[in-house]
Parts: sequence; C-alpha cells; structure tokens
Amino acid sequence: MQTTHMATPVLEVAHLEKVYGALGNVTRALNDVSFTVNRGEFVGIMGASGSGKSTLLNCVSTIDAATSGTIRINGQDVTRMKQAKLSQFRREELGFIFQDSNLLDTLTARENIALPLTIARTNSAEISTRVQDVAARLSISQVLDKYPYQMSGGQQQRVAAARALVTDPTMIMADEPTGALDSKSARLLLESLEALNRRLRATVLMVTHDSFAASYTSRVLFIRDGKIFTELRRGDTDRREFFDRIMEVVAMMGGEGSDAL
Amino acid sequence: MLCKLAWGNVRRAGRDYLVYLLTLTLGVTVFYAFNTVSMQVDIAGIKEEGLSELMGSMLGYLTYFLAGVMAFLMVYANNFIMKRRKKEFGLYQVLGMGRGRVATIMALETVIVSVVAFVAGIVLGVGLSQLMTFFTASLFKTQIANFHFFFSVHAFNLTLACMLVMFVLTLLLNLRAVRRTKLIELMGAERRNESIKTRNPWIAIAIFAVGVVLVGVAYYRLLRDGFPLTETGDKLDGAMSQFGITTAMVTVGTFALFWGLSGMLIKLLQSLRGVYWRGLNMFTVRQLAAKVNTVCFSMGVIAMILFLAITSVTCGMSIANVMNENLERYNPVDVSQTYVYYTPETLDYYKEYVNPSEADRMVLADATVDLYAAWHGERKSADNNDETGKKVNIADVAGEHVQIDSYLSYPLGGSGPSVVAGEMCKAMGEKLPKALEGSNADAMGLYVTPASQYNKLRQMMGEEPVSIGRDQYLLTCDMGGELGDLYTKYMAGGHTLTLGGHELKPATDKSDEDTAAIANSAMGSNPGTVVVADELLSQLNLQPYSSNLLVNYKQGMDVSKADESIKYTMLDNLLVDGKEPGGWGVFITRSEMYTQAAQMNGMISYLAIYIGFVLVIACAAILSIQQLSNVADGSRSYRVLAQIGCDDRQIRHSVMAQQAVFFLFPLAVGLAHSFVALKVIIELVSVFGDMSIAGTVGLTCAIFLAAYGGYFLVTYLMSAGMVQAAIATRYSE
Repeated sequence: MQTTHMATPVLEVAHLEKVYGALGNVTRALNDVSFTVNRGEFVGIMGASGSGKSTLLNCVSTIDAATSGTIRINGQDVTRMKQAKLSQFRREELGFIFQDSNLLDTLTARENIALPLTIARTNSAEISTRVQDVAARLSISQVLDKYPYQMSGGQQQRVAAARALVTDPTMIMADEPTGALDSKSARLLLESLEALNRRLRATVLMVTHDSFAASYTSRVLFIRDGKIFTELRRGDTDRREFFDRIMEVVAMMGGEGSDAL
Repeated sequence: MLCKLAWGNVRRAGRDYLVYLLTLTLGVTVFYAFNTVSMQVDIAGIKEEGLSELMGSMLGYLTYFLAGVMAFLMVYANNFIMKRRKKEFGLYQVLGMGRGRVATIMALETVIVSVVAFVAGIVLGVGLSQLMTFFTASLFKTQIANFHFFFSVHAFNLTLACMLVMFVLTLLLNLRAVRRTKLIELMGAERRNESIKTRNPWIAIAIFAVGVVLVGVAYYRLLRDGFPLTETGDKLDGAMSQFGITTAMVTVGTFALFWGLSGMLIKLLQSLRGVYWRGLNMFTVRQLAAKVNTVCFSMGVIAMILFLAITSVTCGMSIANVMNENLERYNPVDVSQTYVYYTPETLDYYKEYVNPSEADRMVLADATVDLYAAWHGERKSADNNDETGKKVNIADVAGEHVQIDSYLSYPLGGSGPSVVAGEMCKAMGEKLPKALEGSNADAMGLYVTPASQYNKLRQMMGEEPVSIGRDQYLLTCDMGGELGDLYTKYMAGGHTLTLGGHELKPATDKSDEDTAAIANSAMGSNPGTVVVADELLSQLNLQPYSSNLLVNYKQGMDVSKADESIKYTMLDNLLVDGKEPGGWGVFITRSEMYTQAAQMNGMISYLAIYIGFVLVIACAAILSIQQLSNVADGSRSYRVLAQIGCDDRQIRHSVMAQQAVFFLFPLAVGLAHSFVALKVIIELVSVFGDMSIAGTVGLTCAIFLAAYGGYFLVTYLMSAGMVQAAIATRYSE
C-alpha cells in the first residue's frame, strides 16, 4: 500500500533562504531550508501563520524568487531560470490549487479546466477528452458548463484541482486548499487528492495549518520561524493514528510558546 | 480631522483620481477656451461687421451641447472612482464612523479634486485661448496686428457655473451611492465571484441580426430618399417624418447591434473550435462578452457620437473647400455690377409690394442699358459721410471691361421660358440632379446671351473666341458639378435646342466653365446660358433679364483704393428718360468675395474642428476610463493566468485584443454610418461643384484619428503596466 519507497527525487530544496525588506529592517522568512520530495509522495508542510510555509511554497512554485539556495524540480534548477522559461516550466511541470479557488469568473468550469491546455496550444479534440477525463475523476462532470458563481465552494475547489491536474504535471502545489471549505467539502477534496496520489502516482505538495488535512498526507514537514522543525512519516499507520501524532507535534510546537497554531 | 483624511485619501488614491482629475481638467480647459472665441475673433483682427456676435451666438448654443457632453463624462469618471473606493468607505463604517461623516469625507474629496481641476483647467484654458487666437487668425486668413494677453470674465463665469452644477450633481450621486449600498457589499466588493449576466446566445444573435437589418434598411432608405432638404411645402413634412423614421431605425439598430454583439461573437468563435480553444482566445472572448454586456449602451452612444463628429467635420470642411476651390472661377474680374430689369413676370410684383411709392417710375425693359456709360456721377451714400457727393467715374479706374446681357428665352412681352433644364433632362432621358428635385428649379429657364459679348469676355481672360454660327448654340455654366455635367452631356449628345422657332445645333461638344461666370459671386453666377449668334439674337427680340458689367482695373492700380472709389454709385444713375427699367443689382468686388469666403471657410472649419475634436476626445476618454477600470478589475485574473504558466506576452496580447475591440468597434460602426451619410450629402452638394473629401479634411481626420489612437495607445500602455504589476510578484523583493 505504501509507495514512498521509490527513491526518484522530484523536488530537491537545498539551503533555501528568503529575506524580505531592506537593510536595517530585514525579515528572514526562510532560513537554510533543505528537503527532498520523491516521485509519488504526498507531502504536507505545516506551520503557524508567519512560519514561512507559504513563502516556501511560493519559492518552490516559482511564483516568488529565492534569495539564495537552490530548488531543483525534475533536476532543473528553477532559481536560475529566465522569466519566459519559467512560464513554460510552470505550464508544463506544475499544477496549482489555491486557498480561494482562483477560477476565472468569466469562464465556465470546462473553460477554466481547459485553460492550461489552450495556453500550451494543445489541439482542441485532445483538450475536450482530457477535460472530460479529469472532470470524471473529480466528480465534477455535471458542473462543467456552469460559471464559478453558480458552483459551491467545494465544487469550485475541485474544478481548480482539475485545472491543476489536466496537464499531468510533475508536481501539484496546493496552498491551504481546504482553507475556505466546510468540513464535508474539505473531506471530499482531500480524498480526491489522496486518490490521485495513490492511483495516479501524482506528487502533491500541500501547505496547510490544519492537522486534519495534514493527516491525509504520507509525510509532514513542520516549519517554524523559517526553519524545518521536524518531520513525520505516516508509514503504515492509519489516518487516525497519524492525525494523533501530528497533533502531538503541533501541541509540542505550541507548547514551546513561540506561537500557537 | 475629516479634511486631513480626505486630503490623504486623494493623495493616496492618486492613480484612480488621476483619470478623474485629467478628465475634469480637460473639460474645464476646453470649455473655457471655447467660450472665448468671440474675443479671439476680435484680437485676430477679423473686422467683418457682426462676425464676432454671430460666432458668439452660434457658439452659445454649442456651449449647452458641450456642457451636456462634459456632464456625461464627469459622471462617468466619478462612477469609476466610486467603484474603486467602495471598500474604503465600507471600512470607515466598520470602524464606527457614521454615514454622515463618511459622506462628508467623500464630499471633501470631491471638493479638493474639483478645485484642483478647476484651477488647473482655467490656467490651461487661458493659455490655450491665447494660442487658439493664432489658430483662429490662420483659419480666417488674417494677421494679428496687435496681440495682447486676454482673459474672458464671461467665459470664466460660464465655466464656473457649469462646474458648480456638475459638482452638485456628482455629489448627489455619490451620496446616494453611499446611502444605498449595504456594508457587506462595500466590504466584499473585491472578493466575491462576479456573477456573469449571460444572455441566451440565440436571443443575442437574433437581436444582433435585427440590428444589422435595421441599420441596413436605414442605409437603403437614406440612399434612396436622401435628406429632406430639397422638398418643399406639404411634401416636406412627409419627407421629414420619413427621415425621422430612418434616423430612429439607425439609432435603434446601432444599439441592437452592440447589445447582441457579445452573444454573436461567442457563438461565432465557439463554432470555430480550433480558434476558440487556442491560446487565450477563449479567455479574451469571454472577457469581452462579460464587459460588452454592461457597456453595450455606452458603445452605442460612442458609435453615434463618432458618427456625428466625423460627418459634421468632413461635411463642413468639404463645403468650405468647394467654395474656396471655385472662388477663382466664380470671380473672374476685379469688380462686377449686375443690373436686373423688370420683366413681365416681376414688374407687377415690384409695383405692388416692393416699392409702391415709386411705382409710376417703373417700366418694362425693352432694351438693355449700357452700364459702363451710365456709371458716373455723384456719390449718394457712402461708408464715410465726407465721401458723399464726391464725383465718381468708372472710366477713372476701369481697364478692360465687357458687358454681358442676359435675355430670357421668350420674346418681349411674352412669358414662359422655352429652354428649360427639366425639358433637357427629359430629352436625354436623364434624371434631374438631386438638388433640383422637388424644387421649382426644373422649370428654371436658361438665359440667352450674344456670342460677341461671350467672346469678348473670353478674350479678356486670355482665351480663344468660340465661333458660333447662325444655326448653332453653346451652353455655358460656371457652377460645375452635376448641373455643368448636364449641359456638357446635352451638347456632346448633339441634342438640338429650339429658340423662337429656330432649331439650333451645338457649336462644340464642351464649353469652358472657367469663362462662364457672368458676374463675381460666392457660389456661381451663371446657372445656365445659351450663347447664340448676335444676328439671331437681335432677330428674336428677346426679353432682357439682366446686364452684367465686368471690369478689370487699370494696370498697376491699387485694388482696395479702386474698390473704395466706385462703391455705391451705380444704380442712382440709371434712370432712362426719368423712367426706371430695372429694380436692383449687385456690386461685387473680387477682394470682397475673397475675404468673405475666407471668413466663411474659417468659421465652418472652426466649428467643425472644434465640435469634432471635443466629441472625439470625450469618446476616447470614456473608453479609456472603461478599459482601465476593466483591467483593474481583472488584475486577479491576470495573476491567475501567470500562475498557471501563461507568459506575459500572451497576456498582453489578450489585453490588446480586448481593448482593440472596444476602441475599434464603435469607430467602425461610426465610420460606416458616416460613409453612407456623406455619400448622400456629397450627392446633394455636388450640384454646386465637385465636392472632394481631401486636403484639409484629410488632415483634420488624421489629427482626430491620432487623438483617438493616442488615447488607445496610452490606455493600452497603462493597462500593460497594471497587468505587469499584477503578475510580477516574482520580482517582489
């Protein structure tokens, strides 16, 4: 059942630093962060507000530039890429799911999902079949012709997930994907992500501050004050047990008094 | 405290307010400068009596129009600001500030911006009006003798009053906006998913089709019926109401066109799957569709305004051009004097209505008078009283001269012309020129003139004489255009004319319109003359209609002095044995015609350019504001696009495509309307001469397009900057 024994690294982060602000007023958001994610892993990144977890995701996803250190995705160092190359890289290698679904208001679900493909100039027949496939996998076939404002929050988030998956990316980046959802929708989305990870070997990197969401992953990295504090592997334990272990770490981090979750 | 907050707000929301401020300033500048025109006319040294009053009153009406356009623009720009500021006003209320105080802050902001705009606008307006004086002078072809700085209190007051009204208006609108909106909407203004009002695409297509059909039918009707100007009497009312229907059709059609546009575009592009599902095309089209739904009305208004602007400018300037181009032909000599005789058709009318007290002096003319011989004596009236009574003799100034006598085409004491333009058309199976339709011009008789006089005029103008035999005729006309063409065709076709029972053949197949004028004039003096051999003419014994003396001054004479010395002297000396064979006449110098034409040309050009420019700028400003606010609203979308791997270039292309549609569609529709309207206008005016849309018109249109295109470009560049800022999070350090 466990698939994390494969040792092909998809993401290698080494000595990553990110500093905001100018001289005299410096915020060190990331401080010498290093870790590796292997193909087919479902990794969670947990931390309190301001711990640097979103900055980490932004750097990894090439939306923000790192101050120093390297980020290799599939062996390519994204910190040295030019802007034009980055667009192509994002298009081909990465899929994004955000806290607010970030769908385009003027497009229908079908068109939103198809967007990364049309940008990459895929031919229209192929676009159509791929959109249908991914929609079926995420159980959103019935809302394909609706506009975002006509859908529930959970549906919107699954459409966003479908948009992230439709290009078969090397890695899916999810930034608090359940943050704006009710518990039922959150559970549905997480189960979808888990299924994608298990059945299709999709590599998922999910930032969250919610222990429940984190319990769906196979490994959790805890970040505090810009550093990796510790990491938990799920191993063969079931989800409830893993959840309890996550809660322990969270409690310990909070117990040390730096900041509560 | 509130003042400080308001001031801070204006400074912080600088970019949003910039658009509003610029629009307002531009409005004030144009408004002030426009209302100083009568002062400019004075300073530009345009001396024509009453011109500055005339211009002043004409512009007075236009001022209302201009104020309307400006008001629309202000309200529009203001709404743009309010939309941007909603969240902030919501925040104040959340923090516990009462609505009254929020409203006060907003009013203060409006005051600050308005005052700044007013002061800046007036300063710029004063500067602009000084510059415009030179422009005015060059349009009226005068020199500025005595330039001095001027400030018009009248224009200032008018502008101030106008601004106050608009200020109160925008304030009321803003207060209503604050009072009506719910707090939750104010706060959530940014985050909510925008609900897309989709129209059933089939209905949209149907409406679009209705629009196309309406516009098409209106075009057809206009081309068929023309403008109702040529109709008279009862027919005029009918024609006017028909024209009203056509106008309504084109207006409704234009709006329907824009209403259905988005639905039509989507359906069309979706049917082209390869195009729709490619790059950002789908996004671009959807983005357009979402906006077109809300802005279809303003696009319709803009299309109609552009149509008005283009048509009025082109038309006005072309008419002025025609008049100018033909000026040389219309004014062949230094001075001309026309004397019109009493005919059986006019004598009774003169006796009864025009001058009953001198009725017993009036006699029917049975022969022509030698005007040159009669043109001497004492001056009876003058501009300057000292000149009255001064001795005058045409021989003192005249060099070469010729008298052209025009006879009617029936014998003395008879009635009813025998040579008529309408009949000539019938003989050729041609349609009457458009402008003659419906008027009584088709019954207009041609004049008859002896060949010797015609040839003498030709010689005077350095042309070879034309030999006209006893059984021959020649048709002359100095008006050119369709009327000239009619005569040329008639002669070229070898058609005969019957005059007093004599059948005449054309002497040549074409006559020279440059030697056809029979007097100086503004728009042509000879609507059609049959030149026949002298022997034939004396044998026919025709009814004299008028005599025209054409005089060139002696070589080396000062033209303006010569003009002055023989003014107002002619008619008093034309009594024949105490009887008066003719009632009136006109004395026209060439220099006077040139001055008048220059002024007329100047005035028409001035109004046309001014109105056109204001309208074009207003349209462009509205579009610009709309587009900038669209981009600002859509910045989240552009960021998403960048995140999912769309490169900057593709995004900029999409923005460019969207804006091009918004700028070019109304322009295209406006141009199409103008094209049809101008076609009809040209047909109507062409009877007076060949109207060409070139030269200055081309230049003016180029300036307009440059202004419009400039707005487009600036809007695009600003938008591209905004998009860049929205997506460039990577360079956030």
